Amino acid sequence: MGDCRGCTRERIERQVKITGYRVEQYLMKMDRLVGDANLPSGVEMLPGSILFLDTDENVTGISLGYGGGIESLFGVIEGADPREVVALWMRMNDYLHKGGNEGAASAALSAIDVALWDIKAKLADEPLWKTLGGTAGRVKAYASGLDYCLSDEELFAFYRRMAELGIDSGKLKVGLDLAADMRRLDIMREALSIASPRPGLMIDSNEYWSPKQAVRYIRQMEKHFDLLWVEEPARRWDYDGLRLVSQQVRAAVASGENLHNLAQVYPLIANRAVDVINVWAGQSGVTGLRQIARMAHAHGLEVTMMNAQADYMAQIAAALPNHNMMEVVDPGREHCLKWHSHIEDGFIVLSDAPGFGIEVDAAKLKDLQANPPTGRGKFPFPRREGAGRYIVPPQPGEVPWR
Amino acid sequence: MKVTGVKVTPFAHDLPTRSRSTRAMDAGTSCVVELSSDAGVSGIGVACCTNGAQIDNLVQHVLKGEDPRGIAGLWQRMVNLQAKRTHGEPCHEAIAVLDVALWDLKAKREGQPLWKTLGGSRPRANACASLTDAALDEAQVSAWFERMAHDFGLRAGKLRLGLDPDKDLQRLARTRAALSRAVAPPTLAIDLGQSWPTDATIRNIRDMEQEFDLAWVEGACDSSNVAGLKQISNAISAAVSVGRGLGVGEFLPHFQHRSADVIEIDIGRVGITGALQIADAAFGYELPVTLTAAPGNIHAHLAGVMPSFMSLEVLDPASASRLWASEVRIEDGWAIAGDAPGNGLSVK
Repeated sequence: MGDCRGCTRERIERQVKITGYRVEQYLMKMDRLVGDANLPSGVEMLPGSILFLDTDENVTGISLGYGGGIESLFGVIEGADPREVVALWMRMNDYLHKGGNEGAASAALSAIDVALWDIKAKLADEPLWKTLGGTAGRVKAYASGLDYCLSDEELFAFYRRMAELGIDSGKLKVGLDLAADMRRLDIMREALSIASPRPGLMIDSNEYWSPKQAVRYIRQMEKHFDLLWVEEPARRWDYDGLRLVSQQVRAAVASGENLHNLAQVYPLIANRAVDVINVWAGQSGVTGLRQIARMAHAHGLEVTMMNAQADYMAQIAAALPNHNMMEVVDPGREHCLKWHSHIEDGFIVLSDAPGFGIEVDAAKLKDLQANPPTGRGKFPFPRREGAGRYIVPPQPGEVPWR
Repeated sequence: MKVTGVKVTPFAHDLPTRSRSTRAMDAGTSCVVELSSDAGVSGIGVACCTNGAQIDNLVQHVLKGEDPRGIAGLWQRMVNLQAKRTHGEPCHEAIAVLDVALWDLKAKREGQPLWKTLGGSRPRANACASLTDAALDEAQVSAWFERMAHDFGLRAGKLRLGLDPDKDLQRLARTRAALSRAVAPPTLAIDLGQSWPTDATIRNIRDMEQEFDLAWVEGACDSSNVAGLKQISNAISAAVSVGRGLGVGEFLPHFQHRSADVIEIDIGRVGITGALQIADAAFGYELPVTLTAAPGNIHAHLAGVMPSFMSLEVLDPASASRLWASEVRIEDGWAIAGDAPGNGLSVK
């Protein structure tokens, strides 16, 4: 590492202060459609937002993906030293005591916490994975197509492209059509087989099934496939249902991406409902997701990081001792971003750029805001008819593979 | 920044109150660990045991040439190495003190006090005076807690009991009276040192609770006796505190069976990295956390980043020796970590 001790030492002379923030919102058109059991026709439009958190040290923290409601929490951290991020997390969490660290408030807390960690690492002039205690800036990746809306040919092409990067595991969207799902699982396996003779296979039904529907469906698949994990086979809070699935199928059960703090994940861990926990920065920020990962670690459970723009959350995953592999979707969401990581031999390789290593191209952002693109559909996915009760298969014209 | 080597200096500690129950302070010999780096600064830790060979071995095999900032990963590597050992003495304390020294290096590199490197915003932590010498007579008990209340403002006291139930009541009365100089009513906690069988423990604590409001009980029975601890917790008003001597993975049965009401964390056993992991897991269960006494009271640095932190143990407000000194001071009942870079330990 370069000699940065001089500059950081000078900063110590006084407190660094959070001085202001700015949120930029924009709309992106991705390179392709993404879809799951709830919206198999898919979407290609993605709302983007970037939080810029400013300090009096000329260092700005960046947080991707959520930007609303910051004004409700900014007063709690204004003027504070961003390096005190864990304490500031507690302060925000305490501030939200009555209404709870939930919903929009939780999303704002998450965004602020991420920007604070970015600042803390930048002030130390090091990548965040180092600030968090990681020994190596690399994270094993798995491919995830969000692929219910892809034709069989597109499906193969996606996983083959990933396999060419050395990625040897994949997660398929399933849930509406057993025969088609099995055919497509085989396509994914074939595409990945150049990276490994035994690719890791996972499926994700995004809470479309009831627990018993899940057991029946998965057991059928397991007659032909060895599945690493099945994701969200029951509702996010249903620890009895998730545990039932885990006990009745061979695969591990993963869940957690739609829960937003440790308190919500607690029943899943305490009741041994899941085997793998999906973590991401929307779970009350870096601080909150690390709490979840640590509690999981105490219980011998693994965690897996959600996909992210420019794979930015790999910075956090690299420092978690119980992290297995991180989801890579790569649908093209980096229109106005510059980043320094890449995928090599199946791993996300992080650079030594400070913080999250993400920069924003102001001109491109401005251009996106001035000339918003148009395209099909838009996040978020609503829940599909029949979910948890009966299966509504894709209708004619809804997906290209039917 | 890279770790270049280590210097281990044993010393016979000269604590004013010799511990009978705290494993950490009981050995009689301790050592100062100085982890050197290529940046000219050293990371310092003090261990309450002498295991220079283990420390040397860990530095040679795991830490040498590594960047101390990769501390979470380095801690895991040391723990994994320990887990694979099939013979020889366990080296938990050696790993723990090296972890403390690594955190000191990491903070010093940034020129920050450890509490800020960890992400905390204030250097102070709620403290509890802890008298571990069961051999002191009642007048000595009074004098010690009076000094803690008067000189250091300590509002909470913990004392070692478990020998003679009648004398225990008298000692508790002395403690409460002495601490009442600082606050009324003071917080009272006891450590029974696993002295009695479970049924006697319940009977005796219930007798104490006729007269005293006890906040928590340590050493109620063996740390591995999940059923016994739970039985005791169900029978008394005080919280049952569990954790002394346990490694990170050994807390799991207590989380799963709710056999602990308070989680006791010893950085001399699990290091700072392990302590942070356990504290976040405890937060998931909304269990309060206490920190077991540490040389130089450097555990004060950790309190601010533990969401359910309750109290830290102070055996000696001026914890130091002929070889080393600490920046941490005890004032108005708080342990205050100070602003010097690192953990505030220095070698004389």
